[in-house]
Amino acid sequence: MEEQDKSHLLPYAKRSDFKVGRATELTGTDRRLYRTLEIIPGALSWTILIGMILASMYAPFFAAYFIIAFSIYWVLKTLFLSYHVRYNWKRLKHHMKLDWQILVRRFDYEHFYHLTIFPYYNEPIEVLEEAMKGLLSAKYDPKKMIVVLAAEERGGADAVNQAYVMQEKYAQHFGHFVVSVHPADIQGELAGKGSNTHHALHQVHRDVIEAHNIPHKDIITSIFDVDTVIYPDYFNCLMWHFLTAENPYKSAFQPVPLFNNNLWEAPALSRVMAMSSTFWQMIMQERPEKSATFSSHSVSYQALYEIGYGQANVVSEDSRIYWNLLIANDGKFDVVPISYPISMDATIAPTMWGTIKNIYKQHRRWTYGVENWCYITYHFIKNKNIPLKKRLAIGALQGEGYSSLVTNPILLFILGWAPIFLGTREFHETVLSYELPIMVRNLLILAMGGLVVSAIISLSLTPPRPEKHPRFRYIVMVFQWIMVPITMIVFSALPGLDAQTRLMLGRYMGFWVTPKRVNVK
Amino acid sequence: MPLEPEIQSLSYKKRRSFFFVLLLIFIIALPSFIFYSSGYRLNFDNEETTIVTTGGIYITTDNLEVDVYMDEERVERPRLFRSAYYIQNLESGLHRVVVQRPGLHTWVKVLPVDANIVTEAAAFNMPELPHIRPIAEYLNQGGQGVFVVKGSTSTPLFTKATTTGDFIVVNRATPATLRVNSEHEYVVDLFGSTTATSTSIINRLEEEIDRLTTTSPVATTSTTTPLAYIEQGEMRLVEYGDELAARWIGSGPSTPHYFCSPQAASSTVALRLGLHFAQQIEEQSLSTTTPLHIEGDRVCRTEIRLDRKWQKIKYYEFFPRSSDLVVLQLEDGLYVTEIDDRAWQNTQLIYPGDSFRTYVTDTNIYIEENGHYFELLTKIDEDN
Repeated sequence: MEEQDKSHLLPYAKRSDFKVGRATELTGTDRRLYRTLEIIPGALSWTILIGMILASMYAPFFAAYFIIAFSIYWVLKTLFLSYHVRYNWKRLKHHMKLDWQILVRRFDYEHFYHLTIFPYYNEPIEVLEEAMKGLLSAKYDPKKMIVVLAAEERGGADAVNQAYVMQEKYAQHFGHFVVSVHPADIQGELAGKGSNTHHALHQVHRDVIEAHNIPHKDIITSIFDVDTVIYPDYFNCLMWHFLTAENPYKSAFQPVPLFNNNLWEAPALSRVMAMSSTFWQMIMQERPEKSATFSSHSVSYQALYEIGYGQANVVSEDSRIYWNLLIANDGKFDVVPISYPISMDATIAPTMWGTIKNIYKQHRRWTYGVENWCYITYHFIKNKNIPLKKRLAIGALQGEGYSSLVTNPILLFILGWAPIFLGTREFHETVLSYELPIMVRNLLILAMGGLVVSAIISLSLTPPRPEKHPRFRYIVMVFQWIMVPITMIVFSALPGLDAQTRLMLGRYMGFWVTPKRVNVK
Repeated sequence: MPLEPEIQSLSYKKRRSFFFVLLLIFIIALPSFIFYSSGYRLNFDNEETTIVTTGGIYITTDNLEVDVYMDEERVERPRLFRSAYYIQNLESGLHRVVVQRPGLHTWVKVLPVDANIVTEAAAFNMPELPHIRPIAEYLNQGGQGVFVVKGSTSTPLFTKATTTGDFIVVNRATPATLRVNSEHEYVVDLFGSTTATSTSIINRLEEEIDRLTTTSPVATTSTTTPLAYIEQGEMRLVEYGDELAARWIGSGPSTPHYFCSPQAASSTVALRLGLHFAQQIEEQSLSTTTPLHIEGDRVCRTEIRLDRKWQKIKYYEFFPRSSDLVVLQLEDGLYVTEIDDRAWQNTQLIYPGDSFRTYVTDTNIYIEENGHYFELLTKIDEDN
């Protein structure tokens, strides 16, 4: 459903290739350029990993020095990131204690609407219900909320009906309540959250915003995963940050996703992955110039309207929308971290094996976000209005991020030992060959010290213990962090490498819907 | 209630400062760690602090409960991989390693250590008092071994060794309640009708003739033509008249370290590894059949002569599951010797006597003495 009228779009957003999703959508030189960009991340990661093996075989001394350097770097990086997590934790706790309703009172904000979109597929009705209850429990006038339940036709009639059940039950509480049903198999779209949201935004624009003549600048759009349960002060906190932001209409507002709705039901593996994702977002909260939007986030409707909303043809739509905004605004678009939590589900399944598979698939989808690197690099080449320094910095930073995500855990925990097994006889006879494993082991143990910080913070962010769970579970929650070296490889590096390899080979991924379970909070 | 949140986001300045502090630590730590892991150490012994280069010794043992001494000082047992000792921070030069435990033969070696290099060695400690597992001809209903003797049953059957396993001695005709021990039959078959020693050598001689006539590449000649050989992995034992040698037949780069010496003058080699080592290098440097080969910075021999203690070899075979140790039956008993001849070869008596027969399989050492068969055990309980 691409806009015919492009008059309201920003100049760069009017380009035909602005919302390119993959190389096959382009032609000629552009297609070749984009395809090359799709190949680069996977090729680079494989080159690094194979290069390490070859170096271990033919240049083991160099490989050993590199591993030592890399291990030291890892310890210091852990220290650096722990510092950020710890700082954000303090800020998060502080923000959770504040009464944002009082803080926001000094501003004139009553005319603002919160457009909240919950795209879903076939999640249980209890999940939708929890989301609605979350909105109603917010310390914000519900009549100033426009709630959209965005169903998928492909989810089946039952799934669609759930939206109408919710509408019947909750519509009277809110200012506006819209049920949109995203038709299946629209040409040029990729089935998933992005295309569903895109369709819902068009519908709400027509049925509510235009119909009631609501100024675009008075609407703040929050695009939430359907398992998102907001904390009571979320909208006040968001409003405060919006009203105090330097460029509110050129900013996206990022909360901290806590995957804790079902944390007590989730197995240790799932908890570690959920908390690790939260920690990464906490780190990014303190490095906004390096971050993009992730998962549930908020942005001015005006900004979205100026780019014709997000893309309906990509997997990682949550981050892509930020890159769309950044590029269309010639680099003048920021992420404003609000250091306030929202609750979401940790990935689980009825069986352990199912949980492992679901976590793997979820992280493969997340790490397929590497498609965004191709997108931004392509447009950084095209859009010369963005300062060169900014283009280079973002391109390099994002590239390094995707590369290190895949290669660092494998280099550290597997290939770090390669020179010992693959090195030449001359190498094996040296003190270096004997000292290398001892040194790497000690450095990794030192780096694992960062996990102590993780364990403490994760406990503090854990919801109150339901009575049916024993206190002993707290001890498990502390020791679960020793799984991190394994989870880094199995649920970060491998799915990342999988995703990059698929992109490299042109075997493009579709959107995989993470199964949501009943919220038991 | 404050009007603003009191904790602001982490400032760019703070983050940058922290980053540069960590960068500085990295810049300082990297060379330090690389030098340390390469063997460089600070020496505070003298008034002036100096940098010294060190090497190490890596010893593997076949018994977890042994004590290892380096230059008369006990080395702490490793917590992990308890059969491997990595001894660091050794200055260049000769170091005496002793591996011992009460009840076991002591393994001693003087090894050269070079700067930045780790010298490897494999220690072995056989029991001083032989320990055997008798293999009776019959088993009773309870599975107990039964030896049938002609004379008194009170005369001990095995006087030279302690025994394990339950058995009884009887002098009556085979009662119907006894059954034949299949293991005994198996062992008797191993030894065959003639002596194991002679059978073994004759068979091998026949094999050797076959190989020579079919121009097999394994049939090599030397200044003295080898009479026979046996192989274990890529190691071969070859006979030259009364002598026995171990020959490496694998690829050059995988030659075991004890065949080789760093390229150096003969006198230096003699000082580091023993006169015999230097002499063998000189001999083999002139030989066309067992030539030296150069592997990078080291020179490697093809063969190492085994110490037969000036006695005749009655039987030989690789020690079970090893290509570094050899079982030698000499005139006064059965020995285990190492092929590694740096400094000297450790040779340990595992069963004394001159009138028994030996047969070594891939996993066991069997002995027949006075018509009785038993397995010679080379491990004693590590908890004892």
